[in-house]
Amino acid sequence: MNKVKKLNVVLAGQANVGKSVIFNYLTGLHQHIGNWPGKTVEKAEGTLWYKDYFIDLLDLPGIYSLSTYSIEEIISREYIAFQKPDFIINVVDATHLERNLIFTLQLLEMERPMVLALNMVNLLKEKGLEIDFKKLEEFLGIPVVPVVAINGKGLTQVLDRGIELVKQNFKPKSLKYGKELEEILENLILTLKDLDLPYPKRWLALKLLEKDQKIEGLIKNKRPKILEKVKELSLELERLHGEDSSIIVAHERCNLVFQIVNETVKITKPKKLSFNEKLDNLTSHKIWGYPIMVTILALMFISVFKFGNLISLFFENLTSGWQEIWQTVLGTSMWSSLGWTIIESALSLISLALPYIIPFYLFLFFLEDWGYLARVAFLTDNLMHKIGIHGKGCIPLILGFGCNVPACLSCRIMETQRERFITGFLVTFVPCSATTVIIMGLVGKFVGISWALILYLFAFLIILILGKLVSKILSGESVELIMEMPDYKTPNLKTVILQTWFRLKEFIFIAGPLVIISGLIITALHQTDYTLKIAEFLSPITVKWLGLPAITGSLLIFGILRKELILLILATLLGTTNFSQVLSQHQMIVLSLVSMFYIPCVATIAALGKEFGWKKSLGVTVFKVIFAITVGGIVSRLLNLI
Amino acid sequence: MKEISLIQAKENEEMIIVSIMAGQVATKRLADMGLVQDTKIKILRKAPFGPIEIGVRGSKLVLGRGLAAKIFVKHL
Repeated sequence: MNKVKKLNVVLAGQANVGKSVIFNYLTGLHQHIGNWPGKTVEKAEGTLWYKDYFIDLLDLPGIYSLSTYSIEEIISREYIAFQKPDFIINVVDATHLERNLIFTLQLLEMERPMVLALNMVNLLKEKGLEIDFKKLEEFLGIPVVPVVAINGKGLTQVLDRGIELVKQNFKPKSLKYGKELEEILENLILTLKDLDLPYPKRWLALKLLEKDQKIEGLIKNKRPKILEKVKELSLELERLHGEDSSIIVAHERCNLVFQIVNETVKITKPKKLSFNEKLDNLTSHKIWGYPIMVTILALMFISVFKFGNLISLFFENLTSGWQEIWQTVLGTSMWSSLGWTIIESALSLISLALPYIIPFYLFLFFLEDWGYLARVAFLTDNLMHKIGIHGKGCIPLILGFGCNVPACLSCRIMETQRERFITGFLVTFVPCSATTVIIMGLVGKFVGISWALILYLFAFLIILILGKLVSKILSGESVELIMEMPDYKTPNLKTVILQTWFRLKEFIFIAGPLVIISGLIITALHQTDYTLKIAEFLSPITVKWLGLPAITGSLLIFGILRKELILLILATLLGTTNFSQVLSQHQMIVLSLVSMFYIPCVATIAALGKEFGWKKSLGVTVFKVIFAITVGGIVSRLLNLI
Repeated sequence: MKEISLIQAKENEEMIIVSIMAGQVATKRLADMGLVQDTKIKILRKAPFGPIEIGVRGSKLVLGRGLAAKIFVKHL
């Protein structure tokens, strides 16, 4: 029997090319989604057996270049250079060959064996395009395999050709750019000759001409003299081309790609407007786009809430007797209560995940895979700029209305760390479904629906102001929207479901321990009557400053676990849901306001911690507590004036 | 032909990029996306006061308004 051979393979490509469909097709459930060490960038790894090979497949993030623009780009190029994968599968969208090939050239510069998986070839005809695969293969010097990822067509061939490359010890030839650039490159490569760095020499030379600061930094540490030579050569190149050398390299790639496409792609018939293009025209329309967006999002919320409520109720009924059974069997001692708390925390996680997080993720990935999210970003970019982020930031904020947890985790769609943090921070101010329960259950029911709406508007105002402030305070340039507008396509359900499943698993791993531990602490406090003491201790804030009954102190402590507990426990303590017995209308408004802002719930704190580090997560939490108390007190005084 | 900023161009017009007056990072990023001098583009859609969608190299790209203002184009 043959010995098992291990192969390390990466999938690389731009966004929206079907990379994750291929990844899911090949690895199925044998995948693990985590983060790159120390980074808030998702790392998707999976394994598969193919013939005699055990393949470790890594799905690199969807990027457009190997520069230093985003963390994803740096991670990708470092991975390829340091880990030296046995081969790269470069997934490209055959219907957008020209833009895709720009990235392909950059990958080829990394000088690893590579197979070009030309995806979506089934759509070429409809688009009136014809590609000469053989010729493309000759131009690029690597295997080109036509693929239809959604039904797996061509994928085994991709692996076969890749394995062949490994057997042959294949090295891709480097493609030649313009004559002047090549001369300068040759010269530069000579000076880099005995430099000890894991990157290919030609690639280093190109990056130096592109004024890549990371690479400049590396060289500066090793041999600063080289940088002088680089400067001299760049100037020479700039004199010849009349452009900055960093742009010349990119320009040369564009030129080469243009040539290749010109020779290999034929436009066979004038394009007719397809259904998807008509849909695009309608959904991005400067007037109709907006009502359509509102309708789609409203539908999403209504159906998630309806479905969520149903499941919640069902789940509550199912588990309602469990505590009693537990107590009859194990008594009501401290230890028994703590044991029950663990079960209760686990149940509360399920009751959060099942009705809200899963449906929201399903919707999110469905809309993403379909192509609609990019339209939302296009339509809302203007609005989002007012709060210091760009159009893509709208998506986490919208999700925040359902649950802050998936919203925080979805901040990854923003490019830079700065943008991600601003978005994540603002997300925690969006009233989530639990907050909605409080606002509607207190203010909506006992004060009036208009006051509930005022609270919402107030939240938007706060988000607007804080967004402006934070983007001013945080250093760094705000990023302008540069985004590919993907064509609409039929969403791939398997991808949508798998994405949801792996994100859910991730969420349970982050939030689970924290929810259980904090549940235990709070139960322990409650058992030892400390909650009352804490409520007393907090009374200068709750009673004096906020003008609330002392009991709210312990309610707010419980609310850290899940915000709707504030209302549930109040009802338990009162033995009725007629809250007007203990709270005046003003107090209801203040309590709702404070609950809305005062702290992200434990699960959200965990999500923030995972995405932005525990220091920032704690910082946000402390800020929110102080902020909510301050605002609550001011509003309480203002209300008394009315 | 007169040079205008991309935000002044009208929908459905086909233009050619004359220059990009953005900072080094933004210019490089645009170049990586295939937007360099002499690139042919078509203005597909403009959101009111918002970003601009262009057709370039066979695909569609959305550019924020502030960035689009720094790209100068002329008619083909």
